[in-house]
Amino acid sequence: MDFDFSVVTDHWRFLASGVGITLLLSVVSGLTSLVAGLVVALLRLYGPRPLRLVVVLYIDSMRAIPVLVVLVWSFFALPILTGLTMPPFVAALVGLTVHLAAYAAEIVRAGIESVRPGQTRAALALGMSRAQIVRRIILPQAIVRMLPAFGSLLSITIKDTAIASVIAVPELMRQSETLAGQSFQPIEVYTFAMLVYFVILFPVTRGVDMFYQRVAHLGRS
Amino acid sequence: MNADTSSPQRPKSSGAKIIRYRGVIKRYGGFQALGGVDLDVHAGEVVCLIGPSGSGKSTLLRCTNGLEALDGGDIEFEGAMLPRDERALRAVRTRMGMVFQSFELFPHLTALENVAEGPRTVLRKDLAEANRRATAMLAKVGLADKAANYPSALSGGQQQRVAIARALAMEPDVMLFDEPTSALDPETIGEVLSVMKKLADEGMTMVVVTHEMTFARRVGDWVAVFETGRIVEQGPPTQIFDAPTTERTRDFLSHLGWTG
Amino acid sequence: MTFDWSVVWQHRDALIAGTATTILLTVATMAIAVPCGIAVAILRLYGWAPVRALAAAYVEFFRNLPLILVVFWAFYVLPILTGLGLPPLATGLAALALNVTAYNAETFRAGINSIRRGQVEAAMALGMNRVQALRRVVVPQALRRILPVLASTWVSLFKDTSLVSVIAVTELAYVAMQIRAQSFRVLEMLTAMAAIYWLLGYPQAKLVDWIQRRFAVTE
Repeated sequence: MDFDFSVVTDHWRFLASGVGITLLLSVVSGLTSLVAGLVVALLRLYGPRPLRLVVVLYIDSMRAIPVLVVLVWSFFALPILTGLTMPPFVAALVGLTVHLAAYAAEIVRAGIESVRPGQTRAALALGMSRAQIVRRIILPQAIVRMLPAFGSLLSITIKDTAIASVIAVPELMRQSETLAGQSFQPIEVYTFAMLVYFVILFPVTRGVDMFYQRVAHLGRS
Repeated sequence: MNADTSSPQRPKSSGAKIIRYRGVIKRYGGFQALGGVDLDVHAGEVVCLIGPSGSGKSTLLRCTNGLEALDGGDIEFEGAMLPRDERALRAVRTRMGMVFQSFELFPHLTALENVAEGPRTVLRKDLAEANRRATAMLAKVGLADKAANYPSALSGGQQQRVAIARALAMEPDVMLFDEPTSALDPETIGEVLSVMKKLADEGMTMVVVTHEMTFARRVGDWVAVFETGRIVEQGPPTQIFDAPTTERTRDFLSHLGWTG
Repeated sequence: MTFDWSVVWQHRDALIAGTATTILLTVATMAIAVPCGIAVAILRLYGWAPVRALAAAYVEFFRNLPLILVVFWAFYVLPILTGLGLPPLATGLAALALNVTAYNAETFRAGINSIRRGQVEAAMALGMNRVQALRRVVVPQALRRILPVLASTWVSLFKDTSLVSVIAVTELAYVAMQIRAQSFRVLEMLTAMAAIYWLLGYPQAKLVDWIQRRFAVTE
């Protein structure tokens, strides 16, 4: 077995553009699902009953349906329903946000519920209103407590962008497939892709861990 | 026991009645935590609530600032009934300070920020004024040098003193203490009790739920003994501790190994 | 827009076969990944230094790679490594097993580590040897913590089987998308695919919730 990695070096720009799209899609869908997840979580915790039931149904459904299915449906089926065509990147963004927001919402909810009830009592005793308590006392602590889970969700987000290759988003996985197909050197290309993903993902989880170690005391009541 | 008029037994009872509990009843499902409590707290008095665990002392305290709602009877604070409306209740809470057994400092804020939080957010003071008050209160409890520390860096006794400063920063008319030293190491109990004594000497009205009998004997002006949701005896410390008039009180004290 | 939902019923046999393959893949992967996960966890906890490092590297490597990439890579590499021409199903199974073993190894390791030292010391103080302490004190408690995580991994695995569709394994996702391509009934087939996953996955998700409540550890 001899390997010739020149296929990778010759086409590094092609692959690098894939890495760029991977990072862009990860960051943007990470942000949109964070915001959407926060909204969904607040609706679930503080919203009126019928809305809460709908939200719970949505969250549990995303735990049942694979990301691949959501992405494919967003790209192929949604345009039929709405009449709008979306470029692959946008469809991937929509699909990923819808799927990940459910998980983000659960992380937010768990974080908020994990804050000790005594904190609420102490804040009430000072004369704070419920809204002030959530904003100034509960959320700051809850956000610290959510960090490890969000770090893990970020890692999942980056891995899920690779599935967007199935709907022809030119991220790293897709670029690798194309290059592997054209060059007939799948092993070298895919091995390289594995290394790149590892190099991106490993620091993300480690970095979140390290950051959390330093700020954990701010969430410990 | 009738304690309405000033008597040698109750020297401070000529002062205004800050809190009046009349027939207070509180139920949790089928369990009756308070079965009709009558008690007065006069201005400048230190009223200590003692009794076995689960006898309702902490419940009464939580009803006082509306953290729990009453099922019967009423509580009068500074001449007015305790409101049921949340907004009115909030205004009342600003005139009461509460200190918890588990301190409940806000972990994401420094000691100074904890103490300044009430004036800032509730009393809507500007930052400079709130910080000024907070610094003064921290100095009062002897922790001026810990202003920039987070609760995680403070010992239990220090955290509790910061909690006292936090309550004091609101300039309350009465301080409610819910077993303030029960969660502390023996070495740090003293520092908290001396802060409380200092407050008492300055004339603060205090209601203290405690197991520290020595504190109740020396600093208390009036002691109420609780058992299963009722006050079985109340009187000056000299009576309760040296010459209790009821069997229940005698039993309770002997269980604690109280020998005076 | 006219929708023809009968296409779903017409192809029900293929869809059922695909669903069966999905379930088979899930069960088979777990059947491999649980014992292998335990083995890797034990190597990582109790092996000598080079073995521990290797096990740790394996776990970290596979937890930091997208599964879809592992599937592709396995498809091209395994035939060369093993010298056999493996059917896509076996390759898909191998990729899934490699991936889930890594997660399970971490779950088992964390579960065992989470039992306080004091428990083992108390057991030994009673006169138990290490093996007895493990068997009667550590493992029962560790299982309580491990089971909910394992259940959660199971549901994730069930969803991840859809990824082996990219190497033409005839599980549910592949079958549904083939029917879509042949019949041009895009919305109907894709919605049916989502619905079938939902019907199977939703009860599993609720079961995981129940397991987590039931085995919740309070200390």
